[in-house]
Amino acid sequence: MRMIASALLVLTVFVVVTVVTNRNRVELEPLMYEYMIHNFEEDTHARNAVAAILLNYRMYDTMFEALILLTAIIGMKQFLPRESDIQAGKEHSRE
Amino acid sequence: MSDTNVGSESTILRLIVGLLYPFMLLFGFYVILNGHYTPGGGFQGGSVLASLFVARYVVYPVEDTDTEVLHAIQRVFLSLILIAPTVLLFTGLVARFPHYRGLYLTTMDVLIGVQVGFGLGVAVLRFAFFQGVGKTWRL
Repeated sequence: MRMIASALLVLTVFVVVTVVTNRNRVELEPLMYEYMIHNFEEDTHARNAVAAILLNYRMYDTMFEALILLTAIIGMKQFLPRESDIQAGKEHSRE
Repeated sequence: MSDTNVGSESTILRLIVGLLYPFMLLFGFYVILNGHYTPGGGFQGGSVLASLFVARYVVYPVEDTDTEVLHAIQRVFLSLILIAPTVLLFTGLVARFPHYRGLYLTTMDVLIGVQVGFGLGVAVLRFAFFQGVGKTWRL
């Protein structure tokens, strides 16, 4: 009973969101990507548009992408200890 | 039975990996350094560089690499990645000196590539030499 109710709730929310977003659709003018496609070579001296966007127009994105890798490694070090780490932890708790 | 390693005992695998090792290094740096001319760049080339750690582990699965050192190098390069655009790009220095735009792109690609390579290397070695609950993954 509870599962059916939650499924109905999810379905209702999905339908409402879909209907509302479809009725209030706004057509945006494609200014940004046209500017990038036509000007990336003069702006950034890169011949590869992906590199131009990653390293110039959207540099913040790349910086935080690099930070995500650091976060993943910190989590990995926390949850996958080495033998020496376990030994050191045991000796530390014994003292 | 669990102590047998296909990689360290197979002469074929050892020879092939030894032969391919410099070419993997070369390909990784090629992808990184040509990131702004051809498809590729820092993240892709860094992943190719990280495959060096995997190849070495397949042939020689002994934990003699200190992942702390690798992680320290990765953090240094990460801080450089955060500092270099803040100093060069956001202040408008790259826009003011258009002659050095290519140099800036190459520098960022190299920084990101080395950072991703060492980061994924740390991740791979951590998983490979995991000694906690359960068994270590072996080829």
